[in-house]
Amino acid sequence: MLACKSINKQYDGRSTLKDVSLTLERGEILALIGPSGAGKTTLIKNLSLLEYPDSGEITIDADTYSFPGDLEKKITPWPKISVVFQQLFLWPHLTLKDNILLPVRLKNKKDINKRFEELISLFDMGDFVNRYPNQASLGQRQRAAIVRALMLEPEYLFLDEITSSLDVEQINIIISHLQKLKQNNIGIIMITHLLGFARKSADKVVFINNGQIIESGGAEVINKPKSDRVKKFISDINNIY
Amino acid sequence: MSVFDIVMTYKEGLLAGLLVTLKLCLIIWSSGIIVGTLLGYFGSKYRLEIGAPSRVVSFILSGIPVLILLFWLHYPLQAMLQVSINPFYTAAFAFSILNIFSVADLVRSALVNFPAQYNLAARVCGLSQRETFLKIELPIIFRQIIPSLLSLQVTMLQLTLFASLISVEEIFRVAQRINAVIYKPIEVYTALAIFFLIICLPLNGIALWLKNKYTRDLSEK
Repeated sequence: MLACKSINKQYDGRSTLKDVSLTLERGEILALIGPSGAGKTTLIKNLSLLEYPDSGEITIDADTYSFPGDLEKKITPWPKISVVFQQLFLWPHLTLKDNILLPVRLKNKKDINKRFEELISLFDMGDFVNRYPNQASLGQRQRAAIVRALMLEPEYLFLDEITSSLDVEQINIIISHLQKLKQNNIGIIMITHLLGFARKSADKVVFINNGQIIESGGAEVINKPKSDRVKKFISDINNIY
Repeated sequence: MSVFDIVMTYKEGLLAGLLVTLKLCLIIWSSGIIVGTLLGYFGSKYRLEIGAPSRVVSFILSGIPVLILLFWLHYPLQAMLQVSINPFYTAAFAFSILNIFSVADLVRSALVNFPAQYNLAARVCGLSQRETFLKIELPIIFRQIIPSLLSLQVTMLQLTLFASLISVEEIFRVAQRINAVIYKPIEVYTALAIFFLIICLPLNGIALWLKNKYTRDLSEK
């Protein structure tokens, strides 16, 4: 289980997370929704301990870290927790293939080539996997970033709006792959504006605004929102798509 | 007497001078690249303790003409300390100091300005700090600085001419002495230019080749 309890985070005196608590079980998909600047990316950076919260607790399976007490501690939960960022952050001097294979080669993982071939085929990347990131389209780079994370076989996977530049077919592939990961007992947090996906596939839906969780629960957060802010957000998205 | 005749007649003297120039370069290049890289690396890690003083020294050195630095180290400093040092070592020391701080500047600024997101990606992929440095930072920085680094080394080679002014028997001084005997400045200095072209052109060629090979446009479209 991965959980945070009452975490707070400030940047330059401005609160970006306020008393946030949530739980993610293994084999669960949590859809994190909310407007831009709501604190979604900050939340996953804190949950993955890429950044430490100013206060609160984070639990990763049997380990609980309390802040500010553990601020000086070097905690490295990666790639047990892996994150695919919206900006992707592929290494520019390596081809997409080497971007994907470098971390697993360094970890001496087994069956690298077999898994690589499977994922390349699944995400239809054969034609461009030898390109450098700057020679690939955004959609191609997004797929490479996802495959890089999947190759590491994380136990928790955080995805930050990774479908923004993918076409419908690719989104469907990712969604069906996420279902497989879920069956393999991987906990997933996905920041998304795909309300259909959140409604159908997510076990939990969390709406965050101004660094605070406004509403959380199952599909009812989208289907029957209680708060006016969530209602407005969902109606805005529905009007656009 | 043609350029060819001069080269053939004084080939031993010119080669001896060239050897001194190359020895000087070897010291300047190796100390500059090794010590400068280390100074740049530690300057980026310990910005206040090492980086800031190194920048101050580099700034001061950039304001002093090479010739003055060389003369000052050769005459007043040695008179003050009441020592007499072989001018070859004085020149090697002066140019090495210049090269070390110039290389350190290049390396430090490349490391300090290294995009943090690539390190973030390495962290979430489970790479250790050492793996991140060797596999991500170093190759990207190498590609970034290699053309400037090689150009700097060519400039250092050309600066060694100044060593002749404190009596180092390098190739320029040998050429001056030949000219003093035969007084054929056009031919003598043309022969010298050819010697320099023979050394510098391949270096510039390597710099260009490395630049074309490694410093392609990495920006994402």
